[in-house]
Amino acid sequence: MKPVRFDYARPADLAAAVALGGRGDAVVKFIAGGQSLGPMLNLRLVQPDLLVDITAIAELKRVDQTADALILGSCITHADIEDGRVPDVTGGAMRAVAAGIAYRAVRNRGTVGGSLAHADPSADWISALSALGAQAIVHGARGERRIAVESLMTGVFESGLEPGELLTGVEILRLSPSARWGYYKHCRKTGELAHAIGAYLDDPERGVCRAVIGATGTRPLVFGDAAALFGGGAPGGAIDRGFAERAMAAHGMADAIEQQIHFACLRRAVAQAHRA
Amino acid sequence: MTTVSLTINGRAVTAEAEPRMHLADFIRETQTLTGTHLGCEHGVCGACTVLVDGVPVRSCITYAVACSGASVTTVEGLDDDEIGKELRAAFTREHALQCGYCTPGMLMSARDLVVRAPDADEHAIRVAMSGNLCRCTGYVGIVRAIQSVIADRRARGIAAVPGAGRTALGPAGSGHGEAIAARVAAPAVTAAVVSREPAAVSESLADWQPQTRFARSFVVNHAVDAVWDFFADTGAVAVCLPGASVSGDTSARNVAGKMRIKVGPITAEFHGAAEIDRDPLTKSGTIQGSGRDRRSSSATRGVIRYRLLPQGDGATEVELDVGYRLTGPLAQFSRSDLVNDIASRLIAAFAQNVEARLSGTAATAPAAELNAGRLFFSVLAERIKTRLSHLFGRRDG
Ligand SMILES: Cc1cc2nc3c(=O)[nH]c(=O)nc-3n(C[C@H](O)[C@H](O)[C@H](O)COP(=O)(O)OP(=O)(O)OC[C@H]3O[C@@H](n4cnc5c(N)ncnc54)[C@H](O)[C@@H]3O)c2cc1C
Ligand code: FES
Ligand code: FES
Repeated sequence: MKPVRFDYARPADLAAAVALGGRGDAVVKFIAGGQSLGPMLNLRLVQPDLLVDITAIAELKRVDQTADALILGSCITHADIEDGRVPDVTGGAMRAVAAGIAYRAVRNRGTVGGSLAHADPSADWISALSALGAQAIVHGARGERRIAVESLMTGVFESGLEPGELLTGVEILRLSPSARWGYYKHCRKTGELAHAIGAYLDDPERGVCRAVIGATGTRPLVFGDAAALFGGGAPGGAIDRGFAERAMAAHGMADAIEQQIHFACLRRAVAQAHRA
Repeated sequence: MTTVSLTINGRAVTAEAEPRMHLADFIRETQTLTGTHLGCEHGVCGACTVLVDGVPVRSCITYAVACSGASVTTVEGLDDDEIGKELRAAFTREHALQCGYCTPGMLMSARDLVVRAPDADEHAIRVAMSGNLCRCTGYVGIVRAIQSVIADRRARGIAAVPGAGRTALGPAGSGHGEAIAARVAAPAVTAAVVSREPAAVSESLADWQPQTRFARSFVVNHAVDAVWDFFADTGAVAVCLPGASVSGDTSARNVAGKMRIKVGPITAEFHGAAEIDRDPLTKSGTIQGSGRDRRSSSATRGVIRYRLLPQGDGATEVELDVGYRLTGPLAQFSRSDLVNDIASRLIAAFAQNVEARLSGTAATAPAAELNAGRLFFSVLAERIKTRLSHLFGRRDG
């Protein structure tokens, strides 16, 4: 249960980190909180030559607010969000999601950027931020680019980041005061990674209605126009089960029980949003 | 070796440590503070919980060098701590420990909760303590002990402190250390020493049970006979499977080979052997194989049954029934939902490559390891049908 020997660097700025990350002559891994990479290193499933600790880069802990959005640096932790040490533009949605991730000791180090980059289908941020329509900000040797969080994950543990690219932050759009949000995570033991996730956002003032079925074993299943889920009825009404099931089947989820559990999570998320 | 300087229980300490040394080993081995326990060493059990910059952290998945300049408190540091004393008295009174293995971690998490919790709600305490496992007590005494300390302090007018008073952003323990440059020379790429495994699958399948099974099918736009002939050449088939290669006589019943799989940061290379049986009458076959990944010392054994079914339009449906068992560290990460996705991507790539080869449009170079989820969304994705996907493997996360 000890990692292989590796070298360690702790660059103070982004350019140095990107340069190290792009080194082709060695296996280089970025490390943020280490809460996903640590177990893999200890089990020797990952055997890097060099770990590049990105937590000394001030820019990655930045918090920028504009009139309609919030940018969080990638090294902001789940606990920073849970405790409200960073502003919230989601009416408490992100604070509640953060509080449901793992355990307090993990949340004190695990970061939002690390969670997205790790691309575990069962993790919370990939589903929650997809539902919120957030953007990932990525820096590489060729400069900055943005990727919608919903299209960041390409498969299990695979994100669309190129080798050496660093996720530097996420941009979250401000919800209208009347926006409704629901998030339901199903797991057997409190704090473990999800077996199924339902997330739902209805923000008619901005003309946004989105839903996500997460923890699908691969990329989250995103309904960019979730109004279609309600079979012509008003958002928040009964979900067209056949529609949801066909979408899940097309997403590679063929098992009836899996479909049922994921459907229940989505239904609960919708009910949560439209409660009271 | 790197020099690591930090504060432990109020005392400045400096010690040489390899970058791979986690904080728990640093505390235990360089400072002989053995109160911090190690259980799982992958973040699940909570035995190793210590306070870093005043908040609880898993010391088994936090490397000491990443905490340069941080302030660490271990269970020994709670000797004269007011909350520590109250918790110890309550744990004693409520029989909140038996063997004591979990206790240091319990005390650290409990102390944090006593500071932060607005009230002594039992459910909230159980949720908050769910990251600390105890094999002895059944938790009732632990929960009662923590409840009594919180209730008592709130009754004495001591208010909860949200976030335990932390103001800094980012991972606890980070942000104090100086920049550290990477050593100049690139580390030598360690050549994997590979000994040939005997090209035989010794045990019979009769008494072997797969842990996980799944069924898939795909369609190739070529006639059954062409596909059947193609499948006879193991070498050609392997070329179509990303990451696979075989050596020796590739038309023999027994072949040796390897399979390289890259999934995110994980790379595994299974070296092993396979035994292939074909039945021309039913156009079906069985491939049983086993292999070992030396890097992670994980092993796998599996059987693939395939059947070719002619489609009306001169195409062939390939039905696959895959069963396997995985052991070793990789198994810890082989939640069946993840394996499902990897299998989908492998099979999609395989189907695409077989199609290309049979159409004569394929390059002859072997496909690299499976390396991108994008594969799944390729043209063939629609044709992949998941059938009887009765995954009865574990799905523990
Ligand atoms: C016991 C336990 C339970 C957990 N339960 C949950 C849960 O319920 N829900 C949940 O969502 N998560 C859970 N997690 C995972 C946790 O949330 C991690 O904190 C998170 O997934 C990874 O964040 P990190 O900062 O620790 O990343 P690290 O472990 O440091 O890195 C993870 C991966 O991302 C890469 N990386 C990190 N940062 C960047 C970046 N900025 N740019 C590019 N690449 C980067 C690394 O190279 C590595 O491959 C759990 C973890 C543990 C140990
Ligand atoms: S030893 Fe650290 S959590 Fe189990
Ligand atoms: S007292 Fe034995 S593990 Fe908790």
